[in-house]
Amino acid sequence: GEADGRGKEWKRFISYKGEGALPSEVTEPKIYIDKKALTVVLPIHGFAVPFHINAIKNASKNDEAEYVYLRINFQTPGQLTGKKEDTPFEDPDATFIRSLTYRSLNRTRFDNLFAAIQQLKKDVNKREQQKKEMAD
Amino acid sequence: MSTTEYGDIWHLEEHGKLRIGSSGISWKALEGGKTVNVPASELKWAEWTRVARQFQLRIGLKDTWRREAFDGFTRQDQDSVGGLIKQHFDLNMEVKELSWRGWNWGATDFRGQDLVFLIGNKPAFEIPLPSVANSNIAGKTEVSLEFIQPDMPKKSAKNAPDELMELRMYIPGTLPKDNDNEDDA
Repeated sequence: GEADGRGKEWKRFISYKGEGALPSEVTEPKIYIDKKALTVVLPIHGFAVPFHINAIKNASKNDEAEYVYLRINFQTPGQLTGKKEDTPFEDPDATFIRSLTYRSLNRTRFDNLFAAIQQLKKDVNKREQQKKEMAD
Repeated sequence: MSTTEYGDIWHLEEHGKLRIGSSGISWKALEGGKTVNVPASELKWAEWTRVARQFQLRIGLKDTWRREAFDGFTRQDQDSVGGLIKQHFDLNMEVKELSWRGWNWGATDFRGQDLVFLIGNKPAFEIPLPSVANSNIAGKTEVSLEFIQPDMPKKSAKNAPDELMELRMYIPGTLPKDNDNEDDA
């Protein structure tokens, strides 16, 4: 079966080849969107952790009292999506980050980040679709 | 005896200055008076890593899991910090390579009190276990970690930090392997 994408070809992607490729603008523990590298850099306990847009499934945003919450959901096997899961994975048995949730008092900033992540995802999906159509 | 001072150095979420001298390494917060001191005789290892606040000096202590991390060094500081560590403590500061692949899958491991997430055998990030407020197992394959937020004075919305509240992991290895694939066999 292909419930976890086994048997399908996984297409390799990479954010940065090394530390030197990380944008020098990353100088504080804040979410940073690198459109050129199709990457969202997320702060995790002081580390700057890149996540390629292909690894990101979607994002969601919620308001709660004075805070705004931004949740990044990642592509993982075994998600109940309702439809047949056909995303291929490099290693379906690995440990996956499934989501990361951030909060901020800065609503405008998180609104902009949310919109930018959605736009990046949309652009990449569109490009993939065009590639597929060209190949057919 | 001479000491060298670096300003703009962070210890967790506090801003301060760090001194390296023959007696050891010490850091002092700019406000509030918090200090971190590691005497030369306790130092066991030193590492240099690219982190969110540019570069981090991480030092390990003898006979304990304690380690301390100081962020905010610039790329240009590497040679001088490494030189001082060698000169004062006779230790080689190791440059620690991280994974920059951008993948969300890998493996977890423990290093002292840090949970390490490895991608292709290189760490992508570490989570200090004392920062975990709560953890839950949802179903058989999902683990969530909720984090303690540092007790800092609230900043204006404009300068508010991006606070990591929760991380969820999917760990398929805990499920019997050929159970979920039999349906369409």
